[in-house]
Amino acid sequence: MSGTKQGFWSIVRREIVRMQSRPLYGLSMIFAPLFCFVFFTSLMREGLPESLPAGVVDEDNTPVSRSILRNLDSYQQTEIIRQYSSFAEAREAMQKNEIYGFFYIPKGTQEKASSQEQPKISIYTNATYLIPSSLLYRDMKTMATMASAAVGREVLLAKGASMDQAMGFLQPIKMDMRPLGNPWLNYNVYLSNTMLPAVLALMILMVTCFSIHTELKDGTSREWLSMSGDNILKAVSAKLFPQTMVFSLMALIYLVILYGWLSFPHHNGFWPMFAAAELLILASQGFAVFMASAIPSLRWSLSLCTLWGVLSIPISGFSFPVMGMPAPLQALSYMFPLRYYFLIYVDQALNGIPLVYSAWYYVAMMAFIILPLVDISLLRKAAHEYTYLP
Amino acid sequence: MWVKNLLDVCGKELRRTLSDVGVLVFFIIVPLLYPLLYAYLYSREVVREVPVVVVDECRSATSREFLRKSDATADLKIVSYCSDMEEARNLMHRHKAYGVIHVPAEFERTLSEGRQATINLYCDMSGLLYYKAMLSGCTIVSLDMNRDIQMQRLSGLSDWEKEAMTMPIENEYVTMFNPTNGFQTFLIPAVLILVLQQTLVLGVAMLAGTENERRRSGALVLGQEYGNPIVVLAGKGLAYLLVYGFTATYVLCFVPWLFHMPQLWQLPTLVAFVVPFLLASIFFAICISFFVRDRESCFLLFVFVSVPLIFMSGISWPTSNMPAFWKVFAQLFPSTHGVNGFARINTAGALLQDVRTESITLWIQSGVYFMLSLLIYERLYRSDKMPGAEFILNIRTHVRKNLRVAVRDVEEVRQDLKEKAGKLRNRGKQEPN
Repeated sequence: MSGTKQGFWSIVRREIVRMQSRPLYGLSMIFAPLFCFVFFTSLMREGLPESLPAGVVDEDNTPVSRSILRNLDSYQQTEIIRQYSSFAEAREAMQKNEIYGFFYIPKGTQEKASSQEQPKISIYTNATYLIPSSLLYRDMKTMATMASAAVGREVLLAKGASMDQAMGFLQPIKMDMRPLGNPWLNYNVYLSNTMLPAVLALMILMVTCFSIHTELKDGTSREWLSMSGDNILKAVSAKLFPQTMVFSLMALIYLVILYGWLSFPHHNGFWPMFAAAELLILASQGFAVFMASAIPSLRWSLSLCTLWGVLSIPISGFSFPVMGMPAPLQALSYMFPLRYYFLIYVDQALNGIPLVYSAWYYVAMMAFIILPLVDISLLRKAAHEYTYLP
Repeated sequence: MWVKNLLDVCGKELRRTLSDVGVLVFFIIVPLLYPLLYAYLYSREVVREVPVVVVDECRSATSREFLRKSDATADLKIVSYCSDMEEARNLMHRHKAYGVIHVPAEFERTLSEGRQATINLYCDMSGLLYYKAMLSGCTIVSLDMNRDIQMQRLSGLSDWEKEAMTMPIENEYVTMFNPTNGFQTFLIPAVLILVLQQTLVLGVAMLAGTENERRRSGALVLGQEYGNPIVVLAGKGLAYLLVYGFTATYVLCFVPWLFHMPQLWQLPTLVAFVVPFLLASIFFAICISFFVRDRESCFLLFVFVSVPLIFMSGISWPTSNMPAFWKVFAQLFPSTHGVNGFARINTAGALLQDVRTESITLWIQSGVYFMLSLLIYERLYRSDKMPGAEFILNIRTHVRKNLRVAVRDVEEVRQDLKEKAGKLRNRGKQEPN
């Protein structure tokens, strides 16, 4: 203890040396986030999946069924790759993952058509794979309706109706869907905007907790604390300061990737999202310090931080809305910094509404930063007395 | 003789595993609780009664019928009638509603003139499920009303309309294997498989990290404790397989049963598929555990990997639309094939022959990761040292050396081409003369 320098900056310098001494820090603070940034944005670079493989089954095999097949024009997102001879064969292809869906024209279609009954096409999709299944359904439904309308429209037009009248009869009420903020239904926008900060937040939670508790484990915590003049707040903030800088750089990188390079919607400009990202970093650090102080065991506090980081991904509600979750989990979702980040993103980047609507979310994130004040004295005590148990 | 050794190693490893609370957390507690939490999170499968607001500028009987019927669907719930779009937007901003149904003033008139009338739907895109709910709710209502309107007109009616009525082809939609199009049925099988692989990786890495710490402190000398590397590896593998026999049964059979998810598997298929998956995961875990220096670093190294891994499996973003590089990269992990196989066996009732590709790949992975572990272990056993930093350094110098050679080669080829191009150019200049 004697001979070591005191003060904020000497702890910062000490921490930088510690971080450089182990490749683990570089791997988890720089490599892991960067890998995920590149992975997610490149994985879904198409935005919306195109040419999803689908099939057809024509068990009727008559002029009528063949004319239906001819009218199933391909759409951008659907590609009919094969015709199967039976329903069973198509189902097997689906189970083998060759196709995500198929059209089925049953036997007797022509007979029905000629006896003035309505023939029916069935659309089957494999909802085990939810995204391709939903997209195929949308396309295949349109294809089937268009094929049907094509037949009806021809008759109407031949009888002297105008195009306007024909459509007015075939489909009197039409829906005009206007998706706000993401009119392309781009999955990259939908997922990456939350996935990238989620991975960063997960790493922050773990690294923060790990780096504090290794001081205890390695028995260096007394030295660390004495450098701050026994001021635990100073000790912790100086220790985390260089990490905050590295994570801020990472945040800057993903913001530039998302809003600069890929030009995802950011209707209120760069700064509201930059502020949200900075707050997410500080809030995650705050939460991790809170956990590290509350539980004086590296393994258990690290386990809880990990659980929190992983759980924040589904519970932030970006893939499955929070309103659809059971009530206890809805309440729990307020305990996750990422939830607020997601809400800010929706307001500020996707929908671009006035900042005042998101004010409370920013405030909530700030609350996480001061959360450690509750129990940090426990950490001070532990730093003095703790001995590591594996 | 070697059988006795094998059982000996297996027993020792089992004791080591069961007496280490940290490892037990990964092998037992996480697989026990985490799937329950996840399944509970998605237990409602879909979102129902998405709150929407209405701007009805038409205020006719037809528009009111449309709105009433939309409100009655399971998908939507009208929470407010607004006088204009401004008011509706305000409610959207305050997250009181996730969509606006806007009926234009001329709706009824257009309809009575026999032309196509439009209803505008504005949808918040913060979640695709809002979009889906709105689209499917309103589409059901419009199809229903369209039919009514056609019937009304037919009672008045000209021949050509009647004829057209009988012509159109109807269509129906069947979602196979996941009847409610639910999130739980779709995502949980993937999560279950991933939980198995990742807890194995974390637990085995923690054991290796502990061993390493003991070795550094001098408490463990390798040569004395271990015998033939093949026997040691096989013994360890057997021990983990025994533990995971129970864990996997609970995770893959009990959890889906508890949450009433589709379970179409047949026992022989399930067993024949899960065994190679567990073997591949075990030796994959042993293989990468050699690079872990201490107990707790496994968290920082391996937890985040779960997130990209679930996407690599293709359960969410379709494999058919992945960039080739990631498709190949994904082949390295047992979870990719595990998720694809198990999802289809469990949810779509696939048989072993339907998941042949996946199960063969898993057997190959088991073999390759076993051999790879053996290779690393052999070095370790002989040198009584972890390959850790030194191993990576060796690889690095090797790669650097090869890179230097490669760069030199490329340079040579470039020079060569330059010369050839120069010659050609000269010849080109000479010929016209």
